[in-house]
Amino acid sequence: MKSLNFSRWFPSGRTTVIGVPFLFLFVFFLLPFLLVVGISFSQQQLGIPPYTPLTKIEDDVFTLVLNVGHYKFMLGDDLYFATYISSVQMAFVSTVLCLLIGYPMAYYIARASESARDTLMMMVMLPFWTSYLIRVYAWIGILKNDGFLNQFLMWLGVIDTPLRLYHTNWGVYIGMVFSYLPFMIMPLYAHLVKMDLRLLEAAYDLGARPWKAFVQVTLPLSKNGIIAGSLLVFIPAVGEYVIPELLGGSDTLMIGRVMWDEFFNNMDWPMAATVTCAMVLLLLVPMALFQHYQAKVMEEVK
Amino acid sequence: MSTMKPSKPLSFAVLGFGYAFLYLPIVLLVIYSFNESKLVTVWSGFSTKWYWALLEDDELINAALLSIKIALMTATAAVVIGTWAGFVMARLNRFRLFPLFAGMINAPLVIPEVIQGISLLLLFVAMEQAFGWPEGRGVFTIWIGHVMLCVSYVAIVVQSRVRELNRSLEEAAMDLGARPLKVFFVITLPLISQALVSGWLLSFTLSLDDLVLTAFLSGPGSTTLPMVIFSRVRLGLNPEMNALATLFIIVVSVGVVAGNLYMRSVQRKRDREMQLAFNQA
Amino acid sequence: MKKKLVKKVLCSLLLLLPSAGVLAEDKALNVYNWSDYIAKGTIPGFEKQTGVKVKYDVYDSDDTLQAKMMTGRAGYDIVVPTSNFMAKQIEAGIYQKLDKSKIPNLANLDKGLMAKIQDADPGNAHGVPWAYGTDGLGYNFTKVKAILGKDTPLDTWDILFDPKYVSKLKGCGVSVLDQANDVFAVALHHLGKDPNSKNPADYQAAFELLKKIRPYITQFNSSGYINDLANGDICLALGWSGDVNIAKHRAAEAKRTYQLGYVIPKSGAPIWFDVMVIPKDAPHVDAALKWINYIENPEVNAAITDEVFYPTANAAARKFVKPEIANDPSIYPPESVMKTLFLLKPLPSDIMRLQNRLWTQLKTGR
Repeated sequence: MKSLNFSRWFPSGRTTVIGVPFLFLFVFFLLPFLLVVGISFSQQQLGIPPYTPLTKIEDDVFTLVLNVGHYKFMLGDDLYFATYISSVQMAFVSTVLCLLIGYPMAYYIARASESARDTLMMMVMLPFWTSYLIRVYAWIGILKNDGFLNQFLMWLGVIDTPLRLYHTNWGVYIGMVFSYLPFMIMPLYAHLVKMDLRLLEAAYDLGARPWKAFVQVTLPLSKNGIIAGSLLVFIPAVGEYVIPELLGGSDTLMIGRVMWDEFFNNMDWPMAATVTCAMVLLLLVPMALFQHYQAKVMEEVK
Repeated sequence: MSTMKPSKPLSFAVLGFGYAFLYLPIVLLVIYSFNESKLVTVWSGFSTKWYWALLEDDELINAALLSIKIALMTATAAVVIGTWAGFVMARLNRFRLFPLFAGMINAPLVIPEVIQGISLLLLFVAMEQAFGWPEGRGVFTIWIGHVMLCVSYVAIVVQSRVRELNRSLEEAAMDLGARPLKVFFVITLPLISQALVSGWLLSFTLSLDDLVLTAFLSGPGSTTLPMVIFSRVRLGLNPEMNALATLFIIVVSVGVVAGNLYMRSVQRKRDREMQLAFNQA
Repeated sequence: MKKKLVKKVLCSLLLLLPSAGVLAEDKALNVYNWSDYIAKGTIPGFEKQTGVKVKYDVYDSDDTLQAKMMTGRAGYDIVVPTSNFMAKQIEAGIYQKLDKSKIPNLANLDKGLMAKIQDADPGNAHGVPWAYGTDGLGYNFTKVKAILGKDTPLDTWDILFDPKYVSKLKGCGVSVLDQANDVFAVALHHLGKDPNSKNPADYQAAFELLKKIRPYITQFNSSGYINDLANGDICLALGWSGDVNIAKHRAAEAKRTYQLGYVIPKSGAPIWFDVMVIPKDAPHVDAALKWINYIENPEVNAAITDEVFYPTANAAARKFVKPEIANDPSIYPPESVMKTLFLLKPLPSDIMRLQNRLWTQLKTGR
């Protein structure tokens, strides 16, 4: 029925209609990756461009030179693996922290009066629309040694020497939770607000204690929201560059940052390309997960 | 059922803490933009001098204008291409390469921006080597990069909106003999206009905010606002940045609140009309 | 034929886009220079004199510049690499020879200093120095003396390289340049080895030395440390002479009570030259030559030194420089100190790669 329908819709132009966006995505998304794969097999050189061509034609002989040295080097050097692990771990911790703060918030927003809900959600989203860099910048003034947080804690007398937060992993966690909290709250709220309160009532009628009712009814019902929110936080957090660069220390290892340095500072494009290939492979798993949940998420967020 | 109501004090505590966490940094930022001293964390008296300094900061103003221009171009192009792609996703999803197509729509959402930046830059460099275009990097390359960044979001929003459309209207128009293209522009497009507006706004924000892709794809003179902010922030705190942030926050807050109110009234009106239409039918 | 068609189609597409193409204007100049490295009046003065509009972008490491340049068609007309980096880039053939007939002000340059960069640029064919400076130690004297005691000599690299001292300074903040080249050269020198060594084992030894002090380094930074020093967030910096003097100046401006200062250790330190060059694919060569000539005008040149605290190779400019700067030995090293300074030289690429690799390891603390 469906297919019959659109053959009627676009009798001749169907290929064009599909082809245009397809071509665009192919040229500006897929092609670059194929190129990256190619460059990962080339060699660094001092010149423009800073890598050697893979193929050459000399005396009518076509030669293809594939240099696998970068892959060998990458596997032999634990820096890249450690970076990957450390990125995943930092993103994971940030996600958990977001969940711990975001879930109760989403819960109470969803339980607020109908008129208050919209305003409360708008207030969650508002910071998201302001510049991201500026939000991260705001934390520098708070986390510095002589920043507001340390001044405040010292004034309270809780501490007598300033806490080192700026340029540490703690700074990165705080920055990430702050930046990504709205992404956690949105899908959670969407799930919680739709929840059928009669189920909870039933649980209470059966004599369930509030905590138990929450664990056995509310939590399972919001499972999809938790997964969606966690992915929305986790995925961008893994590849984050700005937050570790501005708030993290020089020992904060994250994919985005190491690759940036590899590219801009070491100027080793073939090596950067090799790392890119590996990272894309390693990120395919969360990506497949995301594909799976993304449709659901988008429908609910909107 | 008084037990059904969540406990008030706990609710206030949780929300209070949450909103304090979200807003305290912003409030401090705003307060200290009126600080006389050049040292951001030490209060030394009220002054608006940093706002005046902002007005005379040509580098910042030019960068802001450029950023707005790129964001406008990006949002518009992303909505056109994203709507197109989203429509294909929702309605024309029965071709052999569809999984690849869907993959290319979704992948940019999970691939770190640094990776996208590197690969796009390599593409442009290789293209230039191969046929001399694009010549160098600048507004055009940044624009393409930003469109790539935003297209996926628009496509996904549009796709889900198109999927939930009631097709009876479109079919009725077809039956009356309207050409498919006309049906799309006259019937479908207005029905999904809300998705287009939110897609446009999201793209605009993403583009205005992007640092990483821009850093890879920019050339001389195409320094955008985030690049200026980033390089200054790396040099340390700067009260002028606080003033800029405050302006940003005011504009965005007004925009978001107004937009929200407008969306709500539109939604209400549409619901009413739909109701009427159905009643009449 | 086909290629041509593609090009044509793409070009016409390009024309459709509002101001997408970077159209070369006659009256424009794109300069890419180090951050905090120019006087406020320099660019307006040039624009007024020549009617050329300047686009001025900044970077904070030679690596960033090199990455931009090697990408090709960076679009800049003037870039300012450090001499050792410039040498390799000249070898790679990315800079053009200067038409010296268009730069009459070259006559103002100090012959002795120009000879020093001949190594990197034979016959001074490609570059004209922007400024020079040294690597040394920037101190917050007040804080450091309070911690280490009044009698500890501060004019030695031991303060940075001996854990006995540097460990005590961690609390008040220690910053090191984020520049593998400079830091390794200093470490090699401190170990009594050739700072331009081509022996991989020497770099391992330097790495071991740096690793011992790594726990006490609070940041690696080549630009932000100026403000951090000025604001008292750090008390010891391995930095560049002019930058530390800028910090000192800013702290005085903000009426800070502590005393900042720059010290060249007695045993010697690196000296370097940042050199203006014109890339081969520069779109505005004429304007670039005008720029170089303008910069070498003694008064313009002196104004830059006054503001950034870096001396230049312009001999005629020195008499226009403010006397307190012209007579400051931490800015213009006297002949006795000059003798202890060593020039950084280009390294072969395998050594560069080793250096970069060790540097990443060091920074990430692994």
